[in-house]
Amino acid sequence: MASPVMVNGVYPPVEYNEEVVRKFMIAAMFWAVIAFTVGVYLALELSWPEFNLGYSFTNFGRLRPVHTSAAIFAFGGSVLFGTAMHVVQRTCRARLFGGRVLADFIFWGYQFFIVMAALSYVMGFSKSREYAEPEWHIDLWLTLVWVLFAVVFVGTLMKRREPHIYVANWFYLAFILTVAMLHIVNNLAVPVSFYGSKSYSLFSGVQDAMIQWWYGHNAVGFFLTAGFLGMMYYFIPKAADRPIYSYRLSIVHFWSLIFLYIWAGPHHLLYTSLPDWTQTLGTAFSVMLWMPSWGGMINGLMTLSGAWDKLRTNPGLRFSVTAVGFYGMATFEGPVMSIASVNSLSHYTDWGIGHVHSGSLGWVAFISFGAMYYLIPVLWKRPEMYSVKLIAWHYWIATLGIVLYITSMWVAGIMEGLMWRAYDSYGFLQYSFVESVIAAHPFFVIRMGGGVCFLTGALMMAFNMFMTIRGPKPASISMPHGYALAGE
Amino acid sequence: MNNETADRIVSWMMIPLGLLGLLIWARALDAEMYVFGLSLTLFSTAFGFAQIKRHYDDADLAGAHAAAHRGGQPRG
Repeated sequence: MASPVMVNGVYPPVEYNEEVVRKFMIAAMFWAVIAFTVGVYLALELSWPEFNLGYSFTNFGRLRPVHTSAAIFAFGGSVLFGTAMHVVQRTCRARLFGGRVLADFIFWGYQFFIVMAALSYVMGFSKSREYAEPEWHIDLWLTLVWVLFAVVFVGTLMKRREPHIYVANWFYLAFILTVAMLHIVNNLAVPVSFYGSKSYSLFSGVQDAMIQWWYGHNAVGFFLTAGFLGMMYYFIPKAADRPIYSYRLSIVHFWSLIFLYIWAGPHHLLYTSLPDWTQTLGTAFSVMLWMPSWGGMINGLMTLSGAWDKLRTNPGLRFSVTAVGFYGMATFEGPVMSIASVNSLSHYTDWGIGHVHSGSLGWVAFISFGAMYYLIPVLWKRPEMYSVKLIAWHYWIATLGIVLYITSMWVAGIMEGLMWRAYDSYGFLQYSFVESVIAAHPFFVIRMGGGVCFLTGALMMAFNMFMTIRGPKPASISMPHGYALAGE
Repeated sequence: MNNETADRIVSWMMIPLGLLGLLIWARALDAEMYVFGLSLTLFSTAFGFAQIKRHYDDADLAGAHAAAHRGGQPRG
């Protein structure tokens, strides 16, 4: 790799590729609104099934993967791509490897993947693998984009001017490499024809289920956790203007997390035909995962030591810190739910939906909002967001939305689990399935209310972002330092 | 590999991708492949043309900078 040339003992200033990061931030905001809108509509359908409207393309079964893919891959993915490209440039003090056109192709190619996937779901084409619904040709396209993204990220790391690779990059790299491996193995399939979309998985029976949940759980672990932890390790120190509480703990956090996560998938298949030892293995590793997760949470929260007062004046930082709290909560709840006796109550109920959303709304979305509120003024060279008050309003309304969502789903889920296992004095099931659905109806409506709150907050953010970008650009502005604070 | 080489490789890559899209679009066995092939062709064409436009925009900008450097006198 060619080294940059020093002039008079110093490197010339780096002209970062911020254009692609700006595009990803705009895309992330757009897809967030789409994902939350579809989510609210699905909650409406679950509360009142008449809203399926009788059309195939508005059916819950077709719109559900549109919601999950828009939230995870479109919104979450755009934030991850954008922040990874920002963080790797700043912490390596090097422009993105591969030039402007390659970065542009990664942006537009990824958006193309999202649109193609969403269209295929609405048209009724699906591989029926959770979080991996697109058919083989769309998978191949994503593989191309992903490999190029990996080349750009690793290439930038290799031409860095800093001797040290900052820990956030370790997490981003784990996210990029592991998701590539998961995506390729999980989607190994034989197409019926090169010109037809239908394909059949290379695996069958319980092995197929195991591969699916090895992928599914590690999509949570490496897409929705490792990548966003990279975000945490860069943006919380930057926004709080404090070094990471313990850099050593961040390294322990990294290695223990990536070693343990990859084994935890079988906890999705407890009480199935998967061999008992595999189920137990999944549970054991899930329980062990609690420790590194909380190590990371403590590291994130303690970074605020001596700077807690900033939470009063910086609502963007409040998002990030609350996200770490939700990360701690979800990573405690997950191991508890993976214990077989708890799982026998919680599995297939709305408790699982509540758990997923405490992670996705509380952790993923909040850490993303915090990073975006920090990044938007930096990228568009503005002193601050258009309205700090609006950020505070966004924070409170989104928090209220999450509380409504997860509490209603907890109550509904535990109630459903208890109703399904209740026997009368003759040994017959006490309730039919539909009775549990009727009992859960009020909680479905409350969940929809929570979703409306969350969507309203996102619309406020979109307005705030639009006004910040459209606002006047000051003649001179002091921007934050070029690299994250690190060290013990 | 310098950035210009990478720019060229990615831009030229649009030709086989666009042709592949045309082939899929023409021989599609179902609606999903039809839409994908058509979209791939449109994507590759739009991306390719965007790069051509950008190349000439950059050349114009560089020319304007050079002219400003020579005291605002255009060449020729």
